Amino acid sequence: MTAPRGVGARLPFVDGIEKVTGAARYTADLSSTGALVGRILRSPYAHAELLEVDISEALKLPGVRAVVTGADCDQPYGVIPIAQNEFPLARDRVRYYGDPVAAVAAVDEVTAIEALSRIRLRVRELPAFFSSADARKPNAVLLHDNKPGNIEREVHNEFGDTDAGFAQADVVREELYECAEVHHAMMEPDAALAVFDAERGHLTLYSVSQVPYYVHLTLARCLKMEMAHIRVIKPFVGGGFGHRTEVLNFEVICAMLARAARGTVRLVLSREETFLTHRGRPESQIRMKLGLAKDGRITACQAEVIQRGGAYGGYGLVTILYSGALLHGLYDLPAVKYDGYRVYSNTPPCGAMRGHGTVNIRFAFESLLDAMAKELGLDPFEVRRRNLLQAPTETINGLKVLSYGLPQCLDWVEKASGWIERHGQLEQKGPLRRGLGMGCSHFVSGSAKPVHWSGEPHAVIILKLDFDASVTILTGAADIGQGSSTILTQIVAEVLGLGYDRLRIVANDSAITPKDNGSYSSRVTFMVGNAALDAAENLKRLLVTAAARRLKVSVAEIEWLGEAAIVAADPERRISFTEVVEEALVGTGTLLIKGTFTCPPEFQGGKHRGGAVGSTMGFSYTAQVVEVSVDMDLGKVAVEKVWAAIDCGLAINPMSVEGQVQGAIWMGMGQAISEETVYEQGRHQAANLLDYRVPTIVESPDIDVHIVESLDPNGPFGAKEASEGPLSGFPSALAAAVEDAIGIRFTALPITQMRVFDALQKKPQTTPPESVSTASARGDT
Amino acid sequence: MAALPDFQLLHPATASDAIRMRALHPGSRYLAGGTDLLPNMRRGLVATEVVIDLGGVDELTDLHEESSALYIGAGVTLAVIAANRTVQDRLPALAQAASGVAGPTHRVSATLGGNLCLETRCRFYNQSESWREANAFCLKLGSDTCRVATKSPRCYAAFSGDIAPALMVLDAKVEVLGPLGTRVLPISDFYRDDGITWLAMTPDELLVAVRVPLKTGWASAYEKVRVRGAMDFPLAGVAVALRRENNTIADLRIALTGVSSRPEFVNGLDALAGHPLDDTALAIITRRIKLGIKAMETTLIEVPFRRRITPVLAKRMVERLWEMVSTSLS
Amino acid sequence: MDCGGWNDPRNGYPMKKILRLSVNGKPREDAVAENALLIDYLRDTLGLTGTKQGCDGGECGACTVLVDSQPRLACSTLAHSLAGRKVETIESLSHEGNLSRLQRAFHEHLGTQCGFCTPGMIMAAEALLRTNPHPDRTAIRAALAGNLCRCTGYVKIIESVEAAAQEQSV
Repeated sequence: MTAPRGVGARLPFVDGIEKVTGAARYTADLSSTGALVGRILRSPYAHAELLEVDISEALKLPGVRAVVTGADCDQPYGVIPIAQNEFPLARDRVRYYGDPVAAVAAVDEVTAIEALSRIRLRVRELPAFFSSADARKPNAVLLHDNKPGNIEREVHNEFGDTDAGFAQADVVREELYECAEVHHAMMEPDAALAVFDAERGHLTLYSVSQVPYYVHLTLARCLKMEMAHIRVIKPFVGGGFGHRTEVLNFEVICAMLARAARGTVRLVLSREETFLTHRGRPESQIRMKLGLAKDGRITACQAEVIQRGGAYGGYGLVTILYSGALLHGLYDLPAVKYDGYRVYSNTPPCGAMRGHGTVNIRFAFESLLDAMAKELGLDPFEVRRRNLLQAPTETINGLKVLSYGLPQCLDWVEKASGWIERHGQLEQKGPLRRGLGMGCSHFVSGSAKPVHWSGEPHAVIILKLDFDASVTILTGAADIGQGSSTILTQIVAEVLGLGYDRLRIVANDSAITPKDNGSYSSRVTFMVGNAALDAAENLKRLLVTAAARRLKVSVAEIEWLGEAAIVAADPERRISFTEVVEEALVGTGTLLIKGTFTCPPEFQGGKHRGGAVGSTMGFSYTAQVVEVSVDMDLGKVAVEKVWAAIDCGLAINPMSVEGQVQGAIWMGMGQAISEETVYEQGRHQAANLLDYRVPTIVESPDIDVHIVESLDPNGPFGAKEASEGPLSGFPSALAAAVEDAIGIRFTALPITQMRVFDALQKKPQTTPPESVSTASARGDT
Repeated sequence: MAALPDFQLLHPATASDAIRMRALHPGSRYLAGGTDLLPNMRRGLVATEVVIDLGGVDELTDLHEESSALYIGAGVTLAVIAANRTVQDRLPALAQAASGVAGPTHRVSATLGGNLCLETRCRFYNQSESWREANAFCLKLGSDTCRVATKSPRCYAAFSGDIAPALMVLDAKVEVLGPLGTRVLPISDFYRDDGITWLAMTPDELLVAVRVPLKTGWASAYEKVRVRGAMDFPLAGVAVALRRENNTIADLRIALTGVSSRPEFVNGLDALAGHPLDDTALAIITRRIKLGIKAMETTLIEVPFRRRITPVLAKRMVERLWEMVSTSLS
Repeated sequence: MDCGGWNDPRNGYPMKKILRLSVNGKPREDAVAENALLIDYLRDTLGLTGTKQGCDGGECGACTVLVDSQPRLACSTLAHSLAGRKVETIESLSHEGNLSRLQRAFHEHLGTQCGFCTPGMIMAAEALLRTNPHPDRTAIRAALAGNLCRCTGYVKIIESVEAAAQEQSV
């Protein structure tokens, strides 16, 4: 079998062999002979003033090497520079059950646990708020004194004239949608290993981060260390899905322990603790209002979103901004008004989760669009086709859309699913009903404005060429299982025409690899991919020059074959790649060739406040059709099949694109049918993989994926993102499929068996479809 | 995830050895497949200084057909039971229950005895030590308050084994070995309606086997309500055994699991003998099941749903078996 | 000098006993604590870190290994209950440096993304193929029902097992 080549190849992951042989070392697998065991004491209170943390008895226990508390770090941190209000260990106040209060490093686990039990907390309990509504009540105690009403961030904006838009509409409808809080549940629990070199005062931290650079910055800040004295290494990482895009308390705590103990500390969190660290998608209430003309054209959109954000800022203000911003960019909307409220509550902090900010509001938008199309007698595909964008274009909130394959996506899923013959025409009698539903979605290919604006390029890649005629790709982009290292390697292979056996990639060791803004907002393929393309082209130019010099011809006369260079007019004159490298290194030695990518200012969003959020150089587009069966007696919904088409610009690795799309849709399915966090007086009751219902393979459907290549003008080889957009189309497509099967529309997620069963029991057998919501608020405006 | 607390591990070779070891260490625990006990120990739910590993007791893995019954040792794994030809052909409720427990890997280890003695479960109990402590514990954890029913003098933790209701409708008997010898009791008598002491066994006894009669003319089935297609404990499980004579019910037995602290045999169905399976009969079945359900808020899924869906599931199973028997007779 | 933790003679009975068993085809004789779980014995004593811990006990399948060719959760098994038994972990599957058919299929068909569930998933699939060399999709789903994956949506895992089964039949 010939090895797959370069861009467009279904290349197995470059780090896949380690994964299938068990050789891959994740953080908890790192050799740590002699390491101390770290353990965290967490708040047993949802909200309390912390009067005293008495560690004296813990310190007396033989085998305890360090105990740290909030007193050991007075520097608040948080991913957004203007919203840093979290301490690695609570100071003065605990704000959720599970908030870290103290930590211990001991010679073994038994001792560490015993030490934690000897720490005494003296507190004054405060009223705690577990819902947005309670936290917003006039007399509610403030979680953070500078945030009146417990509102972390309000967003109000209007683009176009929504009053005029609704006035022009033939139908205006408004509906309340609710989405439960969900969690990433990546398979690898959180873990860190910190090595403190006491002699030099240097620190090395191994962690599960998606953005090691943020970890680096935060360690320096919280430990008041020189950045130059810190090294952050990302080993293999078992998924992230956004959980690890911000610095997490345990990473800083592990470093604090190692420094205090003047040694090495291994801190492996339990699955329960990983759930408590959270940063998932917030519980949301969404009031969605749309105006439609008879022909299906959307005349105006108005949305109000309330997100229960949890105890600390984290990514919160970005999430609430994203929800508004990403109303735009999928369809042609003439007027949009958005009001968003991010609320503090005494629950674990929410944050970024796959499809950051867009998933819940997309569920609301697509659901209401379906309902109104039905009222107007329009097919769901038809109403969407009436509202397509025409690329290139700019949305009313200043987002640029240069490539737009949604029309082709719609065409493919309509045909593949047999929509025209089957929608509304599947089994409508008997105990098992079937139905089809569809939905569309999009997502950014990297946030055009990085969180930490420093004036540097958005991405840097270094290629190292040395005497051994190998090329090592040095990148700070974190491969967390999504395959970014493979994509970057394919791009370099494509440009240089080299076999994969000459290429190595080193991802993420701050002592070796260039800084990278990290694996979030689906930025790596687009931004780091462009930097890799740039670096490879720079290196190729240098190699061609060297070849020309050795062959004593001009550069223009060289034909580059990858493993060799020839004189185009005289193919007999040929030198091998090894010889080209020899020549290239003469007089200079080892070559470090850099490539960069910078996102031009005109792509960095509108001028309005928060306008940078949602801005990107390219959106991915997905359309999907979901087929379900519903057991009419028991209310059980089974997802039978999904057809999805994605416009990812160009698939640098079609197999990987399929894997990302399938994984994203399936994760959307989990949110749509079974997943939700549950708090009992603030205590997480489903902080395990039995009660937090990640779907098993049994109820997971086949998912057919079709790739539409729209060739984005700015993406590397035309590529865009593929791993987040497909998620957010699923929940509404499922709700639509259930409606097609049983005539009932659900407006709250997850659409559990209980909700379906109850609705079927209540449903009069003869009346037309109704809307079912736990907090129904339907009305004409 | 915590390591296990320290304990001494004993390896009896026979059931009577095990009983003797238990007598020497009254606070010890028996270990069979480990799929229930070990995760519970890791969460600090079970404290013991001695664990008696039954893995080496060969007699407990005996499975054989007797003249009119199937003898299944308590150490036989659920995977073996589910794959057994006789079980599949003649005791389908048992086969379906065994193959529905947890996941396939659990079933390779998990035993009949382990599932019948499964620790009762509750959303206030199956939590980490720090969680339980923050919640000031509960009756099952030595506190004086049940968190499910705060004024209750008893614990409502739910029995969640799948096998027991199947064996109940199949009229099985359990064999219990104690220092004074073996006693045999109907499986219904093996349970008590209490979340803390849900087994009618004394601490010095060991469940050694189950005898399931191999009767003719019966059809049976087991199904459960659960969120996912695998792994989940039953929110409500229903076992049905039916004998039909022409167009009338000869015998109908229904048992439930997950809806109280013991598997519940549904009483009062003998009144249906001689009646056709008509709407009246179905209404009686529904009423009798509702009386048998004592579900409390022990799971994250709400009680009213579990209460309402159970008779719906049972009714459908009865109707299916009714049809199945008529087809097989014709 | 302190003597915390395992050196602390808190308990009146011996902490460790000799365990004899076969791991990955090699006979072993190790001093192992009686309360040691198989997963900790494999990872900490033998350094076989391919077997993963993804949950707090019995809920995710990431620690699946084979005991006498049958799948087993290493997190819910005492090491000492396996005296005389044959344990196989993910590290044992490749032969003479070559990937096994399942490993190759998971690699080439992208049955692995982040890789954390992969060792357990492959071992569960290995147990399946040893008893049922030509499973259909229902049988594959049934055999892997206790192994959670958060990346793939399982689609390419199923395709990987199918591909391995086909290769096996060639």
